[in-house]
Amino acid sequence: MLACSQGSAEALTELFRRYQQPIHGFFRRRLNDPARAEELTQETFLALLRSASRYEPRALFRTYLYAIALKILRAYRRKAIFRTAFVGRPETIPDPAQHDATETGLWVRRAVAQLEATDREILLLREFEQLSYAEIAELLNLAVNTVRSRLFRARVALRELLKPSSSRAATDAVTQAASGSGNPQMITTKGQRA
Amino acid sequence: MITEAHFAAPEEIMALLDGELLPERAQSVSIHLDECAECREFAEVLRKGSQTVSNWTVPAALPNADFEKRLVDAAGRIPVQGRFPGLNHWHHWRVFLRRRWLITATAAALVLAVAVTSRRAAAPSNMPVDMAQTDRGGATFGGLSHLPLPARSLERESSRSGGKLAVSEQSENLDQPAAGQLGLEKKGLASPYDRFSRAEVLQAPMIARTVTLSIVAKDFGFSRTALDAILARHHGYAASLNANTRQNAARSLEASLRIPAGELTEAVAELKSLGQVENEAQGGEEVTQQHADLVARLKNSRETEQRLQAILLQRTGKVSDILAVEQEIARVRGEIEQMEGEQKSLEHRVDFATIDLNLAEEYKAKIGSASPSISTRFHNAVIVGYRGAVESAIGVVLFVAEDGPVTVVWLAILAPMVWFLRRRWIRTTSATL
Repeated sequence: MLACSQGSAEALTELFRRYQQPIHGFFRRRLNDPARAEELTQETFLALLRSASRYEPRALFRTYLYAIALKILRAYRRKAIFRTAFVGRPETIPDPAQHDATETGLWVRRAVAQLEATDREILLLREFEQLSYAEIAELLNLAVNTVRSRLFRARVALRELLKPSSSRAATDAVTQAASGSGNPQMITTKGQRA
Repeated sequence: MITEAHFAAPEEIMALLDGELLPERAQSVSIHLDECAECREFAEVLRKGSQTVSNWTVPAALPNADFEKRLVDAAGRIPVQGRFPGLNHWHHWRVFLRRRWLITATAAALVLAVAVTSRRAAAPSNMPVDMAQTDRGGATFGGLSHLPLPARSLERESSRSGGKLAVSEQSENLDQPAAGQLGLEKKGLASPYDRFSRAEVLQAPMIARTVTLSIVAKDFGFSRTALDAILARHHGYAASLNANTRQNAARSLEASLRIPAGELTEAVAELKSLGQVENEAQGGEEVTQQHADLVARLKNSRETEQRLQAILLQRTGKVSDILAVEQEIARVRGEIEQMEGEQKSLEHRVDFATIDLNLAEEYKAKIGSASPSISTRFHNAVIVGYRGAVESAIGVVLFVAEDGPVTVVWLAILAPMVWFLRRRWIRTTSATL
């Protein structure tokens, strides 16, 4: 990244190739629209490029990059809420689970969607982005112990949600809600506490 | 679920699996896991849970050569760290403005609202102040502390209320001591309203009537002649008349006509017959109270003048006292003449109604009519454009000079509040997004 901040195109290309898939996965697991995920991935790298001249290696580059991605994601969600509040209709987003996920993936996705927002974010950052507790704490502005306890809570809740009976009930609920709202991912049920 | 009786807490087992325990503690917990079947089973559950979650795969991103190329191109244009500090500052500002667009827009809207509000608030506030000053100026008898009480009380009442009742009550007090003198004075007044008793003045409403007419006439020349005839027939006159008779354009006439109030209706009807009436508006301003107040103040000033002249006739004081009295007489006389002028003007407005007439010709363009050359039109357009630009620039400077300080004050008050609220909203939403 330091080489990139000095204007090295090769360094930037290397960073892009190395982190494109993780960042893309980060957005794909949090958004329903694949095109939007692709767009935000590109936006993340553009933001990285714009801030390259001000980069200071105070933390791991990975943390820095995910911090940018998280900020862009939050800004996008905030704009979506704002747009929905004023325009009066949410964006019609296709559910990727219907065409590009396995059955198990869909099952997990729906279970994760029912977790409490912060717990879900911590779980995703740990399981998929493989960030350490300290990195997650820095990203979400939480204490490390809080991250650990909330991660534990999320895992226990997820285990309950992934049990066959719970999952069937959850799937039914999701299906019913989906037939009503047209968007299963709009449902946010609080996770079960351990 | 593992109970607290175990050596390692469930969270510690999870942290061990995640590699997040300190080495010493990790070793202890590992030993405990080897010994405790229940904890081993819990660790296995956690492992399976992680494996299950890892089944959630997403398709890989498609290679995007275009974006990669754009990114590389853009990398060549970024300012190198520390080489162009000015660019970094500018970038900071751009980022700030882009991210704070909501604040900027809100601040701009507030500035506009404050500017409009302050202008609207300033406009009517001038009116009472001016009126109060005029009132005080007209009714104040500066330096005359030796005046009789009724005169001073009238000054207070008339300036404070300006109302019909206050004037009538106070002027009744004035009538008693100077009835003879006022009777002499009234003989010299030419206004018909002085012939009325006070009760008559108060009872008969005095209304200054105004009429606005916009008429389109087919024959402008005939209408112009007819207008003069109407004025002569009704004993009126044109206070102002501006006729525009340019070639190749519709002729028009703007006039302010004065017609005796009693003949207004007939005159308006005749004017309407000159052509097609496009706009008509009639209004009437009641000036009874204003006139009564003026009459009372005038009467009071005349009485004061009489008394001062009586003092001058006695001549028992020093020369300096006599000079002071003469100066006072001159001042009061000036006030009297000013008020008499106002009174006459007021009565004239009532006696003669005002008709604002806008007479336009129904223009028919003629073939072959000469029009200004292109160079002339271009020249005129340049001049108009130049004047517009200068006026706009002056307007901006005046706006900044007039409303800038107020805007800065309001920005200083409101901007931190908006910034704080937005920041709080972002923090609140970030926790759940």
